[in-house]
Amino acid sequence: MARVEFQASLDGLEATLQEQGALVLRALRGAVDVLRSQDVELCDEVVAFDDEVDARYHGIERSIALLLAQQSPVATDLRLVLAILHNSIHLERIGDQCVTVAKLTKLAAELEPHNDVVEGLTEMGERAEEMVRVALDSFATRDVEQARGLVDLDELNDRTNHKVSDQVLLMASTPGTQEWGIRMIIVARCIERIGDNAVDIGEQTAFIVTGEFHEFTDASH
Amino acid sequence: MSMTTPRIDSGKLGELAATPDGRGAETVFAVSDLTVSYSGNVALKGVDLAIQKNFVTAFIGPSGCGKSTFIRCFNRMNDLVPGARVDGEVLYHGRDLYGANVDPVEVRRRIGMVFQKPNPFPKSIYDNIAFGPRILGMKQDIDERVERTLKHAALWDEVKDRLKENALGLSGGQQQRLCIARALAVEPDVILMDEPASALDPISTSRIEDLIHELKNEYTIVIVTHNMQQAARVADKTAFFSVELREDGSGRHGILVEYDQTTKVFTNPTDKRTEDYVTGRFG
Repeated sequence: MARVEFQASLDGLEATLQEQGALVLRALRGAVDVLRSQDVELCDEVVAFDDEVDARYHGIERSIALLLAQQSPVATDLRLVLAILHNSIHLERIGDQCVTVAKLTKLAAELEPHNDVVEGLTEMGERAEEMVRVALDSFATRDVEQARGLVDLDELNDRTNHKVSDQVLLMASTPGTQEWGIRMIIVARCIERIGDNAVDIGEQTAFIVTGEFHEFTDASH
Repeated sequence: MSMTTPRIDSGKLGELAATPDGRGAETVFAVSDLTVSYSGNVALKGVDLAIQKNFVTAFIGPSGCGKSTFIRCFNRMNDLVPGARVDGEVLYHGRDLYGANVDPVEVRRRIGMVFQKPNPFPKSIYDNIAFGPRILGMKQDIDERVERTLKHAALWDEVKDRLKENALGLSGGQQQRLCIARALAVEPDVILMDEPASALDPISTSRIEDLIHELKNEYTIVIVTHNMQQAARVADKTAFFSVELREDGSGRHGILVEYDQTTKVFTNPTDKRTEDYVTGRFG
């Protein structure tokens, strides 16, 4: 096969992206665990771990700059390179959301948690994990149908997010619960955004396979 | 104002780019079922394609795919090759270019050509430009024509003080721009360029490419290039030619594989053979 070095660089980039994805899944698992356990030390670990995710992102960005300058990719190769860069940014943002979840959980650690809300949040977090896993798998196997399935999972997370918000609103009249509730609304929003990022990764799978970029759902959805 | 779903269709990008300045609206050449043979051996088979006015159209493909053979059909250069035969139809503004009453010399005035290797006459810079207009009887205001043409070819500032010097003393890049100027001097409609920058250094190449961008507003340009990035940089549309083995094993000939907006060809080609060629996986 021609362009052996170039193909090796593309394969290397894709492997690094999956590596970044595996790290993000670990961060996300950590974020879900802190919600469940309110473990302050684990919160700090999740925050510190984000440097690993960021390092992979910067590595991918540098490699892509070199690849564009040296190899001038076109057609499928160009789409793959663009998709890897997009996905790496999406993963980096998921990592940031995990950091926010951990920081807010730590800030709320001394406050009394509300079990129904925690349950809703962990349900969302576990589903977000599944979504990131599906997004990465569909990208690796170029499976557009699997990627499209992310929309349904996202819908479920959106619903749970609304439910969590309603629960927080209900408990707002109870003295001493507001601070915890407000922090958890932001946590819910972070997890909901992780789902959106997973859908974004799925859209990149469709882009490299079909050559056309479409959002799976429009903004009014 | 209504908002629509964000959507990027790479196939539409070229069309969007073509509309604002009105280029590409008219057809200059309409080619149907064109087959070219040399001494009975088919070199290029069954090409259908249209060239649009004020577009830059690039022909790309591996060696032996017939792209140079094809570009030579547009100004009947193959007439000069013994044993060459052109079958099929080439309409130029609706007229049969190979019709019985068409004068090939008039064809070559309207459809100029620039070759891979700069080939100025061993005469002065001035005479290189003035030669064509003189023999075609365009004798009025010849000084002005020489100046205008050299300016058009972005060469005037470099040569205005040495117009009487021999053109062979110019650098390769300057000689090529002189050849483009020489083609422009007889007021053509179309300029054919057969690998015009392949013998030039990168700076001279980018000057030629800048010039192509300038000239497309007034001329229709067809360019054969081995440099795919050059096609991607300068062309509105790109045609990919490839080589096909004949079923009876009697040899091979060129075919047109894909012809589309350049943005489409280089981001999302339709044919697997185009994909393999532009990504460098060919062979």
